Amino acid sequence: MFYLRGCGRWVAASFTKQQFPLVRLSSDSAAPRTPHFDVIVIGGGHAGTEAATAAARCGSRTLLLTHRVDTIGQMSCNPSFGGIGKGHLMREVDALDGLCSRICDQSGVHYKVLNRRKGPAVWGLRAQIDRKLYKQNMQKEILNTPLLTVQEGAVEDLILTEPEPEHTGKCRVSGVVLVDGSTVYAESVILTTGTFLRGMIVIGLEMHPAGRLGDQPSIGLAQTLEKLGFVVGRLKTGTPPRIAKDSINFSILNKQTPDNPSVPFSFTNETVWIKPEDQLPCYLTYTNPRVDEIVLNNLHLNSHVKETTRGPRYCPSIESKVLRFPNRLHQVWLEPEGMDSDLIYPQGLSMTLPTELQEKMITCIRGLEKAKVIQPGYGVQYDYLDPRQITPSLETHLVQRLFFAGQINGTTGYEEAAAQGVIAGINASLRVSRKPPFVVSRTEGYIGVLIDDLTTLGTSEPYRMFTSRVEFRLSLRPDNADIRLTLRGYKDAGCVSQQRYERACWMKSSLEEGISVLKSIEFSSSKWKNLIPEVSISTSRSLPVRALDVLKYEEVDMDSLAKAVPEPLKKYTKCRELAERLKIEATYESVLFHQLQEIKGVQQDEALQLPKDIDYLTIRDVSLSHEVREKLHFSRPQTIGAASRIPGVTPAAIINLLRFVKTTQQRQAAMNESPKTDQCLRNADRLQERQL
Amino acid sequence: MRNSKPPLAVICTALCQARSVLSSIPYSYCQSRCARTLKIRSHVARGTTFRYTHLHRAPASLSTLHQPMEAKIFRWWAGRILRLCTRRSSGAAAPGSGATIFALSSGQGRCGIAVIRTSGPSSGHALRILTAARDLPPARHASLRLLSDPRSGEPLDRALVLWFPGPRSFTGEDCVEFHVHGGPAVVSGVLQALGSVPGLRPAEAGEFTRRAFANGKLNLTEVEGLADLIHAETEAQRRQALRQLDGELGHLCRGWAETLTKALAHVEAYIDFGEDDNLEEGVLEQADIEVRALEVALGAHLRDARRGQRLRSGAHVVVTGPPNAGKSSLVNLLSRKPVSIVSPEPGTTRDVLETPVDLAGFPVLLSDTAGLREGVGPVEQEGVRRARESCNFLATVVASVGAQSPSDSSQRLLLVLNKSDLLSPEGPGPRPDLPPHLLLSCLTGEGLDGLLEALRKELAAVCGDPSTGSPLLTRARHQHHLQGCLDALSHYKPSKDLALAAEALRVARGHLTRLTGGGGTEEILDIIFRDFCVGK
Repeated sequence: MFYLRGCGRWVAASFTKQQFPLVRLSSDSAAPRTPHFDVIVIGGGHAGTEAATAAARCGSRTLLLTHRVDTIGQMSCNPSFGGIGKGHLMREVDALDGLCSRICDQSGVHYKVLNRRKGPAVWGLRAQIDRKLYKQNMQKEILNTPLLTVQEGAVEDLILTEPEPEHTGKCRVSGVVLVDGSTVYAESVILTTGTFLRGMIVIGLEMHPAGRLGDQPSIGLAQTLEKLGFVVGRLKTGTPPRIAKDSINFSILNKQTPDNPSVPFSFTNETVWIKPEDQLPCYLTYTNPRVDEIVLNNLHLNSHVKETTRGPRYCPSIESKVLRFPNRLHQVWLEPEGMDSDLIYPQGLSMTLPTELQEKMITCIRGLEKAKVIQPGYGVQYDYLDPRQITPSLETHLVQRLFFAGQINGTTGYEEAAAQGVIAGINASLRVSRKPPFVVSRTEGYIGVLIDDLTTLGTSEPYRMFTSRVEFRLSLRPDNADIRLTLRGYKDAGCVSQQRYERACWMKSSLEEGISVLKSIEFSSSKWKNLIPEVSISTSRSLPVRALDVLKYEEVDMDSLAKAVPEPLKKYTKCRELAERLKIEATYESVLFHQLQEIKGVQQDEALQLPKDIDYLTIRDVSLSHEVREKLHFSRPQTIGAASRIPGVTPAAIINLLRFVKTTQQRQAAMNESPKTDQCLRNADRLQERQL
Repeated sequence: MRNSKPPLAVICTALCQARSVLSSIPYSYCQSRCARTLKIRSHVARGTTFRYTHLHRAPASLSTLHQPMEAKIFRWWAGRILRLCTRRSSGAAAPGSGATIFALSSGQGRCGIAVIRTSGPSSGHALRILTAARDLPPARHASLRLLSDPRSGEPLDRALVLWFPGPRSFTGEDCVEFHVHGGPAVVSGVLQALGSVPGLRPAEAGEFTRRAFANGKLNLTEVEGLADLIHAETEAQRRQALRQLDGELGHLCRGWAETLTKALAHVEAYIDFGEDDNLEEGVLEQADIEVRALEVALGAHLRDARRGQRLRSGAHVVVTGPPNAGKSSLVNLLSRKPVSIVSPEPGTTRDVLETPVDLAGFPVLLSDTAGLREGVGPVEQEGVRRARESCNFLATVVASVGAQSPSDSSQRLLLVLNKSDLLSPEGPGPRPDLPPHLLLSCLTGEGLDGLLEALRKELAAVCGDPSTGSPLLTRARHQHHLQGCLDALSHYKPSKDLALAAEALRVARGHLTRLTGGGGTEEILDIIFRDFCVGK
């Protein structure tokens, strides 16, 4: 069904076969023509799509507002998903029933698990993705999601109303104003504007406003946010040129073949859509001193590199690589953009040189001597909002019911954006139904680390996920994301389908049962030697050895163990995933025990909530230094645990805060006693009424 | 009122306690309920003035404290005790918590009884291990037990132990108190024994207090000055830690931490970027070499530290200088007993003679050495060599007349000119170009007070003020964390699961950074981005 309103156009279901939810016009509102939603998501990128579908999964009537429907699910930079750390995020997004992992399983052209030899805790699931397929599949999914409506339109302003007294924040968002002046009302609004806030594209010395090549930036919205008092910063990023596939001489380059068998991203998939032999290879080439020369000789033509806008400590562009690590050969991966795409993405060659120099530089690289540049590389500078202005549920401190997710919070990468999108979508929806927020702790997932780092420490460079950021890396593995998050997602957020929930429950109980069975099987080491001759068990101990300990050896897997002890182990080898996961659990068993203790300590600190409305600058009955006060005021940590992670907050300050929290709690408990009785009375009254 | 006369030990405890409260160490007020109960009984029996009079009999360090603070703390004590009398049956359920912590709860310095406390789930286990008993003593009753080292079986002390099963304890968790004799060797021995029990670790600043807070055990709204106390505690501990880290050990620790951080950063870089970006060849191998070297260094240091621990339970002071300057006379004077043979003949002392003495309240190991001179017999030459060697690792050196600085290190040096009685009152004084010095006559005792005062200042700088910090505790902490670091490094096997290997390095680094400070992820990322060209 189509509903046209000015430039805002309801698009519905031209792609869909299934029944599409009707656009609801709130019939009970005073202005019946003004549409009313539970959640509005602004932006159709990786954060926006996840946020919109997550909110819809949680049962909210959701509107996705985007500049152009045909760019929903656009991969504007690299044609790949996942990697080390990022693959972990994708597994967690999938555990919360998010989209990107499932779509990647349907759209990849080259699946490979990185770090295979470095231990399952740091395996990095990664795939080259067909841009076109990804976009198609994503749009199909979005337009088929129940309760989700998609509309084209640029948002110019937010509609603000009086704040709810029981929450902090100076006002509350209740809808958006589009460029054409029309309004849409909603209970919660999620901003996922990516690089569009005052986006500026840079090639050489040319600069022009754009969110992405060919797309208009959002300037009105950026002004609105600034006027509201949000602290805005500026970041820069970039993308490499695209090269014509048939102009590259692949025959002289190193070829990288995909894994066989392919490992799917999603817990719900056993395989991916494409056979390994049908997948496309990647190629590797290197830069050379001539590349360095071109960069160094043309710095005066390269305003993006010279700009003072802070770039990251790592090297996002070939210019920064050459400047900071001179006289080295840098890797360039030539990645396919899709099955029938005639473009190649040269990963590692992000650059902002003038177009003709880009071509000149590329042609001096081995294999690319005759390469044709189809689209030049460019830099993007954009506004981001200091993420210390949002809570771990991604709601802003300043404006109630306004959520930020994705690059707007200073992150980089599709996966980081998707992870925030899911959390924002869930929380926007929970906020509408007045349920407590769904917060993933640092001890529960990479998502938790990502959001905790952002909200407590802020960031001054595009934040990227690395496994080294994660303290409990051995516990938060790609293999167990479902056990960590699916159960909570189902119970606390309601964003997980019944089917997925049941599968996770089954897996959890099977794993627990398997581990206890493995613990219960004990033989002497000599007997183990007879049973599994290929393993060298240290004979120094005369104590019996558990099957779980035998499984720790690299040479042993569940199959060989089950061959040695068929009863009762045989049944655990039937499900391949279960067998593999038991092996991983055994590998890390001893360390996990210690890590669990630490996790408990952190969780205890995180259970101690700091009051949301506390004014650190003026509060009197807690003794804090001025410096600490300012830090706390800006970051507004939600828990004692978060506060203790802010640099410069001393142990003494933490104890003072603790004391403050405890006294406040006591005071509240004392106050709550009387309202409780009131409530009881009221209930009793109601009961009487009903009886009457 | 079963027992109106509290046992002697408890009174002593009260003294220690009061002292440490006054010296702003709040572990002191964290006295166990049992001790409190006994105290309350005594208070009820004799009134609160009891405590006050006792306090005035407490050792000298008390008198240095100013009145208002004392009054404040008294008000608080009184309030606390009264509240305890009225609300005995409070006590929230203790949530399960991680590690078991231990700390010296009484003040440092000379005291009859020192109180060492543990809190956490392994407290009972630790108590059983140290007392070699199958059963725990009755809860909240003082019982006399022989404590022995679980590793060597060597007896440590006959001590009063108190067992407080949670939640009815100060922190709400299982707690144990060891009331041991206050000698540094005993305290240090018990702390080390506790540190060797699996699952136990030294408490961090303010940790007992935090646990008590977390378990709803402290209702401190009415307590004035608590924030100050806590601040002072953490400040004192921080200062103490810094002071300890000022010396050679601190230098070593920081060096080790740096090495380890770099090795870890390189391993992390290999994990996070090894397959996408090109790292240089041999990153892992280099890290491996560094870690192995570190392991050797740490192992050697720990073996050395253990041997030294027994011998030196205090600061080491060496008297050195040219022959016949009167070094032995000075040692005899300071130790008030004839340690060394003295004679007018140069070269009487040929070996290093050590004697433990109490100098201005500090436990000190005083060494007399052979006079430094060349060209004498082989025996004396060996004595001179040993004298030089002992100067190299000692904290304070008292050099007698005319001596050059015996080593070029930044050791603390007191220059003493002996035989001032030989200076004729009207004749020329010592040469004006001499560095700052003290005049002394071992014969007449003139100038001894000045020397003692100067020594006190030096020792305070080395050991920390005995009333504010606890070098013993810090030392036990050092050893615990260094050992923990070494143990973790032994699990570093990069050839297998690299994530596990990195975890071993992380744990090891965690131990070192507990001593040196720092240790965040950002440091690691800084190194990665500094040393490697990584990016998208």
